[in-house]
Amino acid sequence: MQRLSLILSWFFGLALLALSLFVTAETVARKLFNHSFQGADELGGYVLAVGGALSFTVCLIERGHIRIDLLHDKLPPSIQAILNWLATVLLGGFGLFLGYYCWLVVRDTMTYNSIAPTAWATPMIYPQGIWYICLLFFSVTSVALAAIATKRLLTGNLAAINKDFHPKGALEELTEELSDIEQRR
Amino acid sequence: MSVTITTIAVTFLIMLAIMLLGMPIAAVMLLIAAVGGVLTFGWPLVESMGPVMWSVMNESLLTAIPLFILLGELMLRSGMADRMYAALSLWLERLPGGLLHTNIGSSALFAATSGSSVATAATIGTVAMPALNQRGYDKAKSLGSIAAGGTLGILIPPSVNLLIYGSLSETSIGQLFIAGIIPGLLLTGLFMGYIALTNKVSAEERAARPRLPLSQKLFALTALIPPALIFLIVMGSIYLGIATPTESAALGVVAALIIVAVRGQLSFAFFSRCFVQTARTTGMVLLIVLSAFALNVTLSLTGVAQTTTAWVTSLGISTTALLLLLVVFYLLLGMFMDVLSMMVLTIPIAVPVVVAAGVDPIWFGIFIIIMCELGMVTPPVGMNLYVVHGIRTDGGPFLDVVRGALPFTLIMVAFSLFLIAVPQVVTLLPQTMFGP
Repeated sequence: MQRLSLILSWFFGLALLALSLFVTAETVARKLFNHSFQGADELGGYVLAVGGALSFTVCLIERGHIRIDLLHDKLPPSIQAILNWLATVLLGGFGLFLGYYCWLVVRDTMTYNSIAPTAWATPMIYPQGIWYICLLFFSVTSVALAAIATKRLLTGNLAAINKDFHPKGALEELTEELSDIEQRR
Repeated sequence: MSVTITTIAVTFLIMLAIMLLGMPIAAVMLLIAAVGGVLTFGWPLVESMGPVMWSVMNESLLTAIPLFILLGELMLRSGMADRMYAALSLWLERLPGGLLHTNIGSSALFAATSGSSVATAATIGTVAMPALNQRGYDKAKSLGSIAAGGTLGILIPPSVNLLIYGSLSETSIGQLFIAGIIPGLLLTGLFMGYIALTNKVSAEERAARPRLPLSQKLFALTALIPPALIFLIVMGSIYLGIATPTESAALGVVAALIIVAVRGQLSFAFFSRCFVQTARTTGMVLLIVLSAFALNVTLSLTGVAQTTTAWVTSLGISTTALLLLLVVFYLLLGMFMDVLSMMVLTIPIAVPVVVAAGVDPIWFGIFIIIMCELGMVTPPVGMNLYVVHGIRTDGGPFLDVVRGALPFTLIMVAFSLFLIAVPQVVTLLPQTMFGP
């Protein structure tokens, strides 16, 4: 899972760097030479759509989606396990929601052969298709995690649920940061 | 079809309750959006959320979010903050309160870090703590100044939080950024003024100070050039109307990349760490923003903002009284909610209400951010308190941090009252800018 997170992050990061270089070149050309080669805005939108979709999965694997853990830590482990299971199932539901309702968007685009109303006149199925595939990563991962948590709940393996699906508190994040700082020095 | 104020209040409380049980914020918002939508309008409303998802994620304005987060990661993980702290400490330690000023000053200067606030606080904290302990600074004061300094980042632009406010309230992000400058500087000044007034330079502290020649001190200032340069490129291009916020973020990323490359720090491990953290933070922010827009569909079709506005108007209270009530409301909410959730949950309703009462939406953006800053340092869930407490190695009580941060909390409350009385502090600078 960590490997998947790393690979997706690299795709995301490289896309952001490429976009930055393109936008910088465009801005400089526009201001210094009064020449705009257009499309920076459009490209930015596509990078966000595709990269954002990838980042959902990374965040899911890194357990980064915000949960308030104020009460959580004070509850007995069995209740914690049920809440952690429920949280995982809710995220799985989110994945299914995106997988289904965004499919309707892509389906309409295919039906009408939509073309972006921009200088590039991009056929929308290209960016939307890639966007949707990246969203499916999130749908599949979130549903898979929900299935794992459900299996553990049914077999009574509550400790395993709490181990892998508890909310990541500020302190856990801090520990990671501190070890990163150690490595930097 | 519209809803009653009771329904709105009850739904809001139910949503809060589910969130407090530790359910993922984004999923809860989407759930409420879908359930509310189906109950009032049936499934067609939910189906209309698909196109909303695409239009939010395809919005080039929001591309600035990952770019600013990446910019912050590049700066932080290349050690810019560490070096800046060392440089600033040489100059600020002569003031009464010495290194405590450095905590505030370097946090403020490093506000360009829009990445993880935990990472920033951890960095400043680990650099600051050994020096503070070595020179025998009061524990509570040291911890409090780091916690309070860490809140400045979301106010001083570029700020991802201001970006999110701008996109949810449909106000100009460029103007919001520019509007954040003066309040950010003033609040930094107030923090430092408080430290200077309440501390004396002790004899042992004077003796502990290293004596350095001026040339060396001047040379140390070069550590401030990279972050200052990036800040100037990003904010200057927005102020002069040369670039949109997204373009300015891209310019910043390229500048940071060049600086890091010149220092010979580009490596596979460096990029991996930056990219994973950027993706993680972006995913967290964007999923919540996405569900906020989905919730907005339901909120606007059911007329929640109009109902609330009409209800507030019927109370017949003055604008000032309304804002004071909001201060109390946000103080309470901030005690058990994180900054991002607090913002996306309240903006869609609060902004129409205050705008109807004649409040400038740009001003209100800065106001909300200060309310969020307060939430970061008020117990029980003040995130900065926990982070700063987690950095200390002496195992002292959590109460130390709370006690140390309390004076700064009071300053922030007083400052927000000041902004209510003199709103021009916020609105003046954006009116002079050249860009949109």
